[in-house]
Amino acid sequence: MSRYPMESGGNRAISDSFVFTGERSRKGYRLNKFAMSLTNPDHREAFRANEDAYMDRYHLSEEEKAMVRARDWGALIRYGGNIYIMVKVAGTLGITLLQMGAQMRGQSLDAFMATRPGADAKVRKD
Amino acid sequence: MAKIIGGIGTSHAPSIAHAYDKNLGTDEAWKPLFDGYGPVKDWLKETAPDLIIMIYNDHMNRFFFDAYPTLALGVGEVHEIADEGWGKRNFPALQGDAEFGWHLARSLVADEFDPTICQEITIDHGILSILPLLCDTPWPVPIIPIAVNVIQHPVPTARRCYKLGQAIRHAVELYDHDIRIAIVGTGGMSHQLHGKRFGFMNEEWDNEFLDALETNPEKLTALSHDDYMERGGVESVEMIMWLTMRGALTDKVTRIHRHYYAPFLTGFGLIALGCTDIAEPAQ
Repeated sequence: MSRYPMESGGNRAISDSFVFTGERSRKGYRLNKFAMSLTNPDHREAFRANEDAYMDRYHLSEEEKAMVRARDWGALIRYGGNIYIMVKVAGTLGITLLQMGAQMRGQSLDAFMATRPGADAKVRKD
Repeated sequence: MAKIIGGIGTSHAPSIAHAYDKNLGTDEAWKPLFDGYGPVKDWLKETAPDLIIMIYNDHMNRFFFDAYPTLALGVGEVHEIADEGWGKRNFPALQGDAEFGWHLARSLVADEFDPTICQEITIDHGILSILPLLCDTPWPVPIIPIAVNVIQHPVPTARRCYKLGQAIRHAVELYDHDIRIAIVGTGGMSHQLHGKRFGFMNEEWDNEFLDALETNPEKLTALSHDDYMERGGVESVEMIMWLTMRGALTDKVTRIHRHYYAPFLTGFGLIALGCTDIAEPAQ
């Protein structure tokens, strides 16, 4: 039993999950700070214009930059990226949360959407 | 003396904002969700509260991990709309209520809740995804936002969130203006947004939560974060914010409306509960 009985991230593992603990927040700090900056439209423009130069401004390590270049959302989350901030990186690059999720599950977007209860409802694509 | 007339528990989700902005509310996939809000919107219109307190979480738009508040209270006259990374939505800023906001700050701190007091607090989809489903613009009522950390652990316990609601009720009872207040707790029901468990939903648990929220909320305050995350997915720990809303109501409540729909990534839940110490207009 943990010293902190109501707290998460140590008492028992949640399967296939990465609870955003202090440890993860500490490791992912630079990465998350870079991604958070993309809430500014000028910054999004600068990142799209030259991804590496923009990431250098935030002193990302080679390992961190490689994960962003690879759009490897699963690796970014495992490393310490926070999902709510990583969606800002994806959004800046024109990638949706659904696409991120399908990739993390190792599926195509269509294969993932077919698993949804509402899959048969017509969704307008625009 | 001010009074709390009732409360609303509702999911929030960027997809609701997207569907609203793309006018998908009458499409087959989204119509059940949008229609579900109709009776609650009508109830708010009929009861016309003078103020709404909204418990929500910021999704890394106003606050960052350089200094992350466990509780943050917006006391400004105006709350601007956030750019979440894809441009601001086309809505007017929300109106605040500085007089009530500072009263709430004083009363909460006296009751040993110590929020970060924010004279500027930009608002993201934690509030703005569902606000247009609850009322039309121009926004008819001032909003007091209270942001809770449900992202970076350690996050407050379910019981702490419930007690915060009780402290809010106490603050309302101490307010010396005769106003009527509604309280809203927002947060996705079952959902997980990362890893191989992305897309996890649990309809049975969501409905068990809605049952207990109405009739036996104490049961929900005894659960740990792990209980919530295991049953509903890691990001569903947001559901503890509904307990703040419930803690601010009377022990017994009258159900105004309840709705649930889980088509894609999250259980969209909605419940409206009236306080039993209030004489409401006929439905």
